[in-house]
Amino acid sequence: MSTSDDDRIAYLSGEAVDSLSPQEQAELDEVRGLLATPATWEEPDAALEDRIVSAIAEEARRGRPVESAPAPAKPETQRTRGFRWPFRRPALVLGGLATAAAAIAVAIVLAVGSSSPAPLQFAMVVSGTSLAPGAHGSATLTKMNSGWEIQLSATGLPHLSGSRYYQAWLKNAAGILVPVGTFNDAEHVILWSGAPVTQFRSFSVTEQLANGNPASSGRRVLVGVAHPVH
Amino acid sequence: MQEGDLRARFRQGDPDAVREVYRSHGRLVHAVAYKVLGDRGLAEEATQQTFVKAWRAAQSFDEQRELGPWLAAIARRVAIDLYRREAVRAADPLESVAPGDSALVSTPESAEAMYDVWEVREAVAQLPPEEQEIVRLQHLDGFTHAQIAERLEVAVGTVKSRSFRAHKRLAAMLGHLRE
Repeated sequence: MSTSDDDRIAYLSGEAVDSLSPQEQAELDEVRGLLATPATWEEPDAALEDRIVSAIAEEARRGRPVESAPAPAKPETQRTRGFRWPFRRPALVLGGLATAAAAIAVAIVLAVGSSSPAPLQFAMVVSGTSLAPGAHGSATLTKMNSGWEIQLSATGLPHLSGSRYYQAWLKNAAGILVPVGTFNDAEHVILWSGAPVTQFRSFSVTEQLANGNPASSGRRVLVGVAHPVH
Repeated sequence: MQEGDLRARFRQGDPDAVREVYRSHGRLVHAVAYKVLGDRGLAEEATQQTFVKAWRAAQSFDEQRELGPWLAAIARRVAIDLYRREAVRAADPLESVAPGDSALVSTPESAEAMYDVWEVREAVAQLPPEEQEIVRLQHLDGFTHAQIAERLEVAVGTVKSRSFRAHKRLAAMLGHLRE
């Protein structure tokens, strides 16, 4: 290793080094900045793996909707940055274009082959809050003549009875809450909303007490955000 | 399981493969989401959505591609969608925000910045735990070598040598050494 490499490492580790050029310092400062970024160090919750596997298993049970692949990653050889990153993935570009083309072809075939318009539909994964960290599931929200039918399927919530029950809500961007139904067990529930899911996309379930107060208790146990199904 | 076999099983939509892909790429996806959103809860929501979307799109996934960049692209798109949603939800009257508030000029991170985080996160994850700890204390927490030595109850010289070794590994992995 050359002396200059030792200097670069020393500078990267925070020591004062005079022998580096301004450009070299700027490159290494950028790496130091990334090392100081919380995103580099933040760890996801240990339960997230189970939540993801459960959400996908639930979707698998229902049958996989078609979703297009994302645009291919930006080829690294087109980077404009000054310093060198390991360029390990040059084959991605053609593969990515082929994947995107295949996804578009699938979408076109499905669109042309469909003889009747599908109902407007949204879907979401739902996750337990800190009050119910083991809860998870999914929901589909379908536009019907009489309103929006919400099929919720979630596990990890205890069965409530007596004066305790669950209440589901939808909320719009302005924070307006609309109640969409009450129930005792979340495993297979059908809820209805008269408010449009296109605008009221934030879904939550609260624990309620039958005490004459119809307002939300604020004790949210399940949350999710509805997204259109294409 | 071989990477190629894992990719094939993921492409087939095998839920068990999803768990393995999460274990190999979940933290990196989370890092990309956290970089955009700056919030642990939202980053976890974005991570979950990323894997669900990836699974839905797995049939069109090219086995020749690497999973990492593909997942990163999905994670960035999902995180930006959440970022926009939260920006709308948290909208305050413009007059109530101080002129210098960073929220007035904040925009979602560029794709390039996402890859930078991705690369650094991946390099840090390959360091031995004792070296990771020193790099974290030094850069994220802003401690000096002397403060780290006091905290870890080791000699300052030990901290310096570990730090140099750690940064040498990082520089090699990130391509900052002369070839």
